[in-house]
Amino acid sequence: MTIAHRFDYERPDTLSGVLDALARCGGRARVLAGGTDLIGWIREDLIAPDVLIDLKALDELKVLHCADGVLQIGAGVTFNQLLESDAVRSDFPLVFEMAGRVASNGVRNRATMAGNICSAVPCNDSGPVLLVYEATLHVAGPTGTRDLSALEWFLGPRKTALQPDEVLTGITLKKPEGRHGGCWLKLGRYKGEDLAQASTAILMLENGETRIAFGSVAPVPLRAPAMEALLKGRTPDAALIAQAQAMLSDLITPITDVRASLEYRLHMVGVMLERGLPAAAERMNGNGPDYGTTLI
Amino acid sequence: MDDFNVVGTSPSRIDGLDKITGAAKYVDDLDFGPGLLYAEIVESPYAHALIKEIDTSEAEKLPGVVKTVTAKDFPHTFGLYMKDRYIFARDRVRFVGEQVAAVIARDVGTAKRAAKLVKVTYEPLTAVLDLSEALKPDAALVHPDLENYEHCPWFFPRPKTNIAHWRKTRRGDVEKGFAEADVILEDTYTVPRYAHCAIEPHVIAGYYDAAGRLTLWASSQSPYTQRNIIAEALSPMGLSHKDIRVITPYVGGGFGGKAGVSMEIFGAVLAMAVKGHPLKIRWSRAQEFYNTSQRQGVIAHVKMGVKKDGTITALEHTLHWDAGAYAEYGANVVNAAGLSATGPYRIPNVKIDSVCVYTNLSPTGAYRGFGYSEFHFGLESHVTRIAKQIGMDPVEFRRKNAIAEGDTLAYGAKMNPGNMQEAINRCAKAIHWGRKETSEHPDRVIGKDISLFWKAPAMPPNASSAAFVKFNEDGSLNVMVSGMEIGQGYMTVMAQIASEVLTVPVDQIRVETPDTDRNAYEWQTVGSHVTWSCGNAVKNAALDARGKIITTVHRALGFPEESIYLENGQAKCRTQPDFALPLCDFVINGIQTKDGTFRGGPIIGSGIFMPEFTSATGDPETSQGGHPNVHYTVGAAGIILEVDRKTGKMEVLRTVLAVDVGQAINPVLVDGQIVGGLLQGLATVMYEDIRYDANGKLLNPNFTDYKIPTALDVPLETIPIILETPQPDGPFGARGVGEHTMIPAAPMIANAVEDALGIRIKTMPVIAEKIALANLGVDYDAVKGDTMGFCYAKKPEDYPFGIGD
Repeated sequence: MTIAHRFDYERPDTLSGVLDALARCGGRARVLAGGTDLIGWIREDLIAPDVLIDLKALDELKVLHCADGVLQIGAGVTFNQLLESDAVRSDFPLVFEMAGRVASNGVRNRATMAGNICSAVPCNDSGPVLLVYEATLHVAGPTGTRDLSALEWFLGPRKTALQPDEVLTGITLKKPEGRHGGCWLKLGRYKGEDLAQASTAILMLENGETRIAFGSVAPVPLRAPAMEALLKGRTPDAALIAQAQAMLSDLITPITDVRASLEYRLHMVGVMLERGLPAAAERMNGNGPDYGTTLI
Repeated sequence: MDDFNVVGTSPSRIDGLDKITGAAKYVDDLDFGPGLLYAEIVESPYAHALIKEIDTSEAEKLPGVVKTVTAKDFPHTFGLYMKDRYIFARDRVRFVGEQVAAVIARDVGTAKRAAKLVKVTYEPLTAVLDLSEALKPDAALVHPDLENYEHCPWFFPRPKTNIAHWRKTRRGDVEKGFAEADVILEDTYTVPRYAHCAIEPHVIAGYYDAAGRLTLWASSQSPYTQRNIIAEALSPMGLSHKDIRVITPYVGGGFGGKAGVSMEIFGAVLAMAVKGHPLKIRWSRAQEFYNTSQRQGVIAHVKMGVKKDGTITALEHTLHWDAGAYAEYGANVVNAAGLSATGPYRIPNVKIDSVCVYTNLSPTGAYRGFGYSEFHFGLESHVTRIAKQIGMDPVEFRRKNAIAEGDTLAYGAKMNPGNMQEAINRCAKAIHWGRKETSEHPDRVIGKDISLFWKAPAMPPNASSAAFVKFNEDGSLNVMVSGMEIGQGYMTVMAQIASEVLTVPVDQIRVETPDTDRNAYEWQTVGSHVTWSCGNAVKNAALDARGKIITTVHRALGFPEESIYLENGQAKCRTQPDFALPLCDFVINGIQTKDGTFRGGPIIGSGIFMPEFTSATGDPETSQGGHPNVHYTVGAAGIILEVDRKTGKMEVLRTVLAVDVGQAINPVLVDGQIVGGLLQGLATVMYEDIRYDANGKLLNPNFTDYKIPTALDVPLETIPIILETPQPDGPFGARGVGEHTMIPAAPMIANAVEDALGIRIKTMPVIAEKIALANLGVDYDAVKGDTMGFCYAKKPEDYPFGIGD
């Protein structure tokens, strides 16, 4: 497990300390939160940063807080903290459902949602869920702070809107107005922890809107506006689901690799719609399978 | 059946508390002091290339580097059955990841950095990655020097080809058998390579001291065989067996991967390169996959003829095995399958060709099941299919043809005891065979299957075991043996056997992990044979000790020897009802006689066991005439499998396995073998999916993309059934059970999937994706991309099996 690459390690205790370190190091530094991706990448020589800047001394980034339907998730909040939060479970059930399927318990004890979207691998689990909640991402940089929509965040595999001298400090989600129900479906090779072969987030709102996002079937997690337009205000019966499935090959661009074939990913996203849309509708109406139940 | 006191009961395993409290020490836990050195391996990026130059000068300049080592320092080869494996690649590399050089440094990080500074110049050669290419007359040769390698007499390598061994078994007249058949079914089945995935990676520490003594601490299944292989390889350097000491602490899983010698050779030679300094080398998870010994891939052609009444008239079974770069151990897998690929059936006309083929992929070797899991996939798939084809219930078909005691085996010897009929019946009952079941889920269907299995230990005919027992002052006992506790419960079983003879309670018996200086000889802990073989040795050692106890009592007190016996840790006498002398009173210091002098002294016993009825002298063209196997353990397994036709996902609702173990020394430990073995077998068929790229590089040497089951993935219910038809030459009637329990898993899944969905999958693994795509009419192998799971690029049915003879 030894890392051959040599790097410096800094652990600032203020955000300005983090930003100073980032400014000092130019592009040679990487920010360390849980490290569950980063350390593996360094060990495998995929990246070779000169400096690691650890965020874990910053207590303000460990805040998980919900008030008036607004959920603030600090960059240091782990998936298991999300999983154990009553507010997350009751008001943001897709976050709950998603967090429970991220890796294994040990990894969830360290891995953060912020780190997950900064790693920005195409199979990241947080992306599709943040897309359907239309989360706001808070970024701090040398010239101050800025907010981005999750919709603007993912630019490519392992590529985000974050600049090298910036740090993602937190994520804000707003509870949808009125009744809402959803579904997070993740395809893995077994029941144990796995990277998604394909994933789908579905969020239905009382106003008739259905938001859909996919993961692992394109270079980035992506929303499906055309499909959402089709589904808007309609009940997902078999005929409508078939129409939605027929759109898939135009909306997503899955690839074949050692984790799955293009054909299986495409097929399974269709199955996710078939099982997820009715489940989301039922959940919005207060019934349906409990959140966390595996549908595929 | 005899009445036993301890045999047949299930005391808690004696290593259990150590392991769950963390008291158990593994090699990497041992402290070798601040002078410990570390090594890193420089690996070949090519599957096949000539080494033109190795420049270690830059690496040696790095502060902290102690030494670099190459084949110039250690030009030797080594191996268990054939000495074809190079300590360091010499002149040529034969697989991606092969060791070209090693760097020894004062810390691991320095060793890793220095290894990157070693410059190796290669001249790439055509890599032989495909079995059909490897067998062409003009194929590039993986081992141009094949004729020069020493090998055991029952291997038949073919110089100037890539054939390392060819086992032929012939019985009766297959053409006549096929002529008598009403139905003939032939088809091709493929099984890819697999990795053992022991949770503890390979690790070894070595210390070559100033006196010229080489001590090794290894995570191992085979301390004595490792000593032997290493001593043979290093004999040119003046080392003899007595100079090498192998100590093997607890081991975190073996499954065959820690049998023989793979990376352990580095612990020996690198320690010798830095005399006076301890050195440790530990494999990474990736190295664990590509540079130890994988399970061989195989492509198998099965041709079976049956009469309408279900009688099997003939079997032609052709197996081409992908042995990878080195076959020193793996060629015996091919041999074992070549002798036993009839499966547990009575077949009068048999032709088996089992061919071991070198390729430029990772070396292969022993893996739990040793060839039997592989050939059972095709054979048991085929049996179900041909039964259905003649309109016969597949379970009834198996009952009709199942092997029984006294039947003649394909190589002419007679079958040992074992109750296959009872195994079939118990499994059929447990899964309600014949009753169709439906799922509550609209997309899910339920299928069932019963598959049979058999397996014999595959080992040299004279593989042997030895044991010492010695008493202590308080009447407690040390049992000193060199089998390995690899999780199966060996220590506990050896203690129970000693306890049964000597009436010392199991909790008064200590069985330690091996040290070749102190513990008695054991060939290896492989082949499901240690309970049987080492168990006999321990029993004999205990009987030896008991004899000395009786002699001591007789000499001191004058009772007739035949009247003296042991009970509850006391010596007693049938003619003296009041006499009861606790062992602790005399097993060290003897018994005082009337004149004040003593008789006796420390009681020690020794025992050995070697089968004296086995031989490997069968005719190379037919295998007739020898007696290569000691015994087969037989059994059956059943499954109720729910399959989601849309996703391909499977849920094992119930599985059952009945195995005739002769005598369960410890039934709870046998249950453990059934539950664990079945799960490992199910993993190979449901999840594990190895991938190489077109240049022979392994793409998934990690648990991210090579999946072994988690606790969430175990069957909902597993029912273990123990049958006991005693093995006459086994300790208290026991025969082996360890590997067997994983063998039926793969065909069982394939058969149950067909029963559920009507889809026949003939290529392992049978993963969810493959099932879902097949249900859509899509051939998984055609869409899975430019990666090799099985070592044949085209469709299995097009594979050219005809390679002459």
